[in-house]
Amino acid sequence: MMLEMKPNLAILVALGGLCASTAVADTLNVQLSADIRSSRPGVNRDALSDSMALNVSEGLVAFGQRGNIVPMLAQEWTVAEDGKVYTFTLREGRTFHNGAPVTADLVKQSWEALLAAPKFNCASYFNGGRGAAVTSVEAPDDRTVVITLDKPNAMFLKYTAQSQCGGMAIMHPDSFDADGKWDHPVGTGPFVFGEWKRGQSLHLTKFADYVPLEGEIDGYAGRKEVLVDDINLVVTPDRATAVAALRSGDLDIVPFLSTSKASELSSDPAFKVQSAPHGGMITLLLQTADPVLSSPEMRLAIVKALDIPELVDVATHGLGVPNASLVPLGSIYHSKVQDERVSYAPDKVPALLKAAGYEGQELVIQTNRRNPINENVAVIAQAMLQMAGINTRIEVLEWATQLDRFRNGGFQMSAFNYSNRADPVLAYSAVVASKEDRGSAIWDDPKAIELVKEVLQTPDGDARQALFDQLHKLYLAQMPFVMLANNLDVSVSAAYVQNYTTWNGFARLWGVSLKK
Amino acid sequence: MIKFVLSRLLSAVPTLFLVSVAVFTLIRLIPGDPVALMLGDNVDPQVYAAMSHQLGLDRPIPVQFVLWLKSLLSGDLGRSITSDQEVLPLVLHRFAISAQLVLVAVTIATVFAVPLGMLAAWRQNSAFDLGVVVGGTILMSIPTFWMGLMMLLFFGLQLGWLPVLGYVSLGENFWDGAVYLLMPVATLVLHETGILVRMARASTLDVLRLDYVTHARAKGLSEGQVLRRHVARNAFGPTWTLLGLILGNLLGGVAVVETVFTIPGLGRLIVESIFGRDYPVLQGCLLFVAITYVVVNLIVDLCYPIFDPRVKSA
Amino acid sequence: MSIGKTNKYLGGLLVAFFLLAAFFGWVYTPFDPLAINLRAKLEAPGSGHLLGTDEYGRDVISRLLTAARTSVSISLLTVSFAVIFGTLLGSVSGYARGWVDRLVMLFTDTLLAFPSILLALALLSILGANMYGVVLALGLAYMPTVTRVVRGAVMSLREQQFIEASRLMGHPVHYTLWAHVVPNCLAPVIVIATSMFGSVLLTESALSFLGLGVPPPAPTWGNMLAGARPYMAQAPWLGIFPGLCIALTLLGINLFGDYVRDRFDPRMRGL
Repeated sequence: MMLEMKPNLAILVALGGLCASTAVADTLNVQLSADIRSSRPGVNRDALSDSMALNVSEGLVAFGQRGNIVPMLAQEWTVAEDGKVYTFTLREGRTFHNGAPVTADLVKQSWEALLAAPKFNCASYFNGGRGAAVTSVEAPDDRTVVITLDKPNAMFLKYTAQSQCGGMAIMHPDSFDADGKWDHPVGTGPFVFGEWKRGQSLHLTKFADYVPLEGEIDGYAGRKEVLVDDINLVVTPDRATAVAALRSGDLDIVPFLSTSKASELSSDPAFKVQSAPHGGMITLLLQTADPVLSSPEMRLAIVKALDIPELVDVATHGLGVPNASLVPLGSIYHSKVQDERVSYAPDKVPALLKAAGYEGQELVIQTNRRNPINENVAVIAQAMLQMAGINTRIEVLEWATQLDRFRNGGFQMSAFNYSNRADPVLAYSAVVASKEDRGSAIWDDPKAIELVKEVLQTPDGDARQALFDQLHKLYLAQMPFVMLANNLDVSVSAAYVQNYTTWNGFARLWGVSLKK
Repeated sequence: MIKFVLSRLLSAVPTLFLVSVAVFTLIRLIPGDPVALMLGDNVDPQVYAAMSHQLGLDRPIPVQFVLWLKSLLSGDLGRSITSDQEVLPLVLHRFAISAQLVLVAVTIATVFAVPLGMLAAWRQNSAFDLGVVVGGTILMSIPTFWMGLMMLLFFGLQLGWLPVLGYVSLGENFWDGAVYLLMPVATLVLHETGILVRMARASTLDVLRLDYVTHARAKGLSEGQVLRRHVARNAFGPTWTLLGLILGNLLGGVAVVETVFTIPGLGRLIVESIFGRDYPVLQGCLLFVAITYVVVNLIVDLCYPIFDPRVKSA
Repeated sequence: MSIGKTNKYLGGLLVAFFLLAAFFGWVYTPFDPLAINLRAKLEAPGSGHLLGTDEYGRDVISRLLTAARTSVSISLLTVSFAVIFGTLLGSVSGYARGWVDRLVMLFTDTLLAFPSILLALALLSILGANMYGVVLALGLAYMPTVTRVVRGAVMSLREQQFIEASRLMGHPVHYTLWAHVVPNCLAPVIVIATSMFGSVLLTESALSFLGLGVPPPAPTWGNMLAGARPYMAQAPWLGIFPGLCIALTLLGINLFGDYVRDRFDPRMRGL
C-alpha cells in the first residue's frame, strides 16, 4: 500500500488553523494505550501509570540497566552489621519541581505518607507481609535518612526500587491539597507533571532546573537529560489507529507495540522498531492439581510435544528468544545451567502418555484476546498438542475473567504472561507457593518453596547463583508449567526520533531528541 | 399534557430501578473484579482481602446495593475505582462529548435520508429507486469500525487533510473541534443514512397505497401536492419511531466509533468500565443511559401524534 | 427490469447462494478450517489456497465456508428470537394498553437501556464462550426494537375501523389479534427483521472488534473481519472476503426482504 509518510507541508499551510494542534518541533507525541489510573506513584497504579511516574519522580535508589541497585536521590548508603538499619546520605543540590530543596525531613514525610496510604500497592513489602517491616524512618540531620527494619531483609533495596511501588518516590507535601488529599505529583524527576485531560492526553514538560547526573543512561537512573520541551502522551486505545497516527506524524513514538505490527513495520525506513526481552515471562501454565495434569509424565509429554523454538518464533513474529529459565536472559544470574531445557521429542510422547495413563481426556487451554501473544501461544500449542495425540480445546476468555481464573487456580492450561519482574527471585516467588496459601500458586513443591525462601535472604553473589541453578534443575525435573520465553518490549518510533527505547516496560523519555 | 409527561416520568422510576438492580448484580456476578485487575499477576491474598474490604466489595451484594442506593438518593454516585474521579461529573462530561457527535450525525443523516427515501418510494421501480435501495443497503452493510479505519487511512494518511487522532471539544475551540469531529460524524452519517433511507422508503410506500392518497390524486391534486400534504406527514411516523430508537441507542455512546477515532465519549467509558470492572462508573453510566432512553422515548411518543394523525393524542 | 423483479431475482439469488454456502461448508471444506500451517501463513489468493491463508496459515475459503454456517445460524436464531418474542410482546402490549402495556414497556425499556456488550459478556460467562451466548445476548438486545415498532403499529391499527368491527362482532381478543392485527403489522416487522438480519452480522463483528463475540478459533465472518484489521496493509484479502460476504448477504437479504414484504402485505394483495 502506498502511503505518504508525513502530511504534505503545503496542505498543512493551506489548511492553516485546521491542523494547529499537530506537533511543533520540540513536542514529542507518545501513544498511551489507556489513560493512567492515577498520578500518585505506587497508589492505584498499573504498568502505564508506573511508566509516567518514573519520568516525573525519583526515589532514594533505583534499578540500573542490568537489574543492579544504583544511587538516585541518595548519593550513598550503608547497611548496619545486623542488616536492619539502612543509613542514606542524600545527594546535594536536588530540588523538587516547586523549587524546594530535597531535605531528609521531606524524605521522611514522603515515606511515611506513602507507607500509610490506604491504597499503597506495595504495603506488603514494607509491613512484614513479605519479609521485613519498616519500623521507623528518621532524619537525624538535613542530609541523612535512617530506615530501620524489624529484621534483616536482603531484598529491601530491590523492593524499594520496584516500579509498581513507584520506586518509593520522594514527593513534596505540595503534592497534596489543603485537605491532605492527593492532588498532583510534585517530584524531583526530569519531567514536570503538566496538563492532564482525563481520557485524552497528559503533558509532561521539561523540568528546567533539573541537574542531570554524570555518566550514561542507566535503567531508571543515570544521566537524565531532557532534550525536548514537552511530551504529549495521547490516549489512543486502538492499535490500528495508533499505527495510522504514527504514519501521519500525529504520533512520534508508540512505546508498546504488538509483535505482529512490529514485524510489519520493521522493513519500513520511516520507522525504527526496537525489541528487547525484559524480565516478564511468556508461559503456558499447567494446573498441577488437575487429575490429568497431576502426573509428571503427562506434563513432560506436553513439553516434549511442543516445538518451543518454533512456537516462540511464530507467537512473537520472530522477535522472541526462547528461554526455559525463570532467570531472564539479560540477568547476571543467567548462567550456563539456566540454558538447560527439555528438548522437543514428539517420538517420546506416546510412551509418556501411556505411563501417565492418559486416555484422550480433553484439556482446555484458556487464553485471551487482549494480548496477541497469549492468543498465538494457545492456538499454536493446541495445534502441536493435537498432532501429538493430546486432545485440547481453546477457551478464549475476556481478560478480567482469565485473570480471575488464574487467581483461583481455576484452569487446566492457561496461556498467561507475567509482567516484568525486577529481580529473578521475584519471578520465582510469583509462581512458587503452596496452593493452599495462594490460589494463584503454580509450582507447589516444598523443596522449591524452601529454595525461594533462601534466595530471598541471600545477598548478591555466588551463593545466590548456586540457589538459582538448583531451582532451575528442580524445575526441569518437575515441569510444573511451561516457561517459553521472556516477554518483550517492542517499540516503534519515527525515524527522526533519536535514542528512544522502551526499557523493562517503561517508556523512558529522557535522552530522547527530535531531528526532523 | 403536563400530567401525561409527569406520569410518564414517574412510571420510568421502576424501569430505572430495574436497570440498576440488573446492572448491579450482573457486573458483580461476572468473574473478575477490580481488585484482581489492579493487582494483576501480583496476587497476594492478604493485599487482595484488604483492598476488597476497603472498597466495600467483601459485603453481600444486597448490602452493597442498599448502600449505593442510599448515597444515590443523596445525589452521590460514588467514585471511580480505577481513576478515583467522581462518577456524576465524569458521566456528564463524557455524555456531552457523545451527544455532540450523535446529534450532529443523526440530524444530517435524517436530512439526507428521509427525502431520498420518500422520492425513491414515489418513483418506485425506477433506476433512482434501485440506486437508493442498493446504495442504502451497501452503506449499512459496512461495519463502522471498518469504514472508520478506511477514512483514517484515506483522509488522514493518504491525503493528510485531517488529523488521525486527538480530540478538542467544540466548546473549547469550535473550529478545531469541528475538524476532529468530521470523520467520526461522517462515519456515523453514512451508516445511519443507510438504515433511515430504507425505513423512509418503506413507510412512504405504505402510505402511498392508502385510500386517501388515491382519493387525493383523484381530486386532481398534483403529485407534488399529494406528496407534501398527505404522504410526507403520514409516512414520517414509523421513521420517527425508528429515529427515536436510533437516537436513544446512539446516545448511550458509540463505543466503536469512539475507539477508532480516539474520542473520550460515553460509549468508550462504558466499555472500559465493563472490562475494568469499574462498578460505580458502570452503574452511573447505565443509570444515566436509562434516563436518556426514557426522556428520548417520551419525546418521541409526545411527537408521534404530530406525524401520525391516526394516533389520538394522549 | 423493474425493481420488484430485481429484488426477487438478485436478492433471492444472493440469499440462496449464501444459504447454499452455509450448507456446503457444513458438508465439505477444501481444508480443515482450524488446521494451522505455519509455513504457509499470509499466502495471497492463488493456486494452493483459492482465497489465500491467514496469519496462522489457515485456509481462508474453508474458514469462510464454515463461518457462513455459524454466521447464518447466529443471524437466523437471533432474528427469530427477537421477532417471535418482540411481536408477541408488542402486539399484546399495544392492543391491551393499561397495566399490561406498562409492564411490557418496563421490561422493554430495561432491556433497551442495557448495552449489548454487557449482556454478551454476562451471558458468555454463564453459557460458556460459544455462539448461543451471543445469540441470546443479541436476541435480547434486538427484541425491544421489534416490540416497540409492533406496539406502535398496533396502537395505530387499533384505531382503525376493521379492528373496531372485529371487536364489535364479538370476536375474542386473541382472534382479533391473530387474524387482524398481527397480519397488518407484518410489513414493518418484515422490514425490521430483514434489516436486522444483516445488522446482527454487523453487531457480531463489532462485538468481536471490542473483544467479545464468538471466540476464535471458531470462525465467523464478524470475527474474521475484526481479526483482519492488523493485516490490512499486508494481507488485504483477509478483510475483503469476509467483508464482502457480510455486505453481499446484507444486500441479498434486504432486496429479498423488500420482495417478501410486497407479497405479504395484505393491502398489496389483488393489486
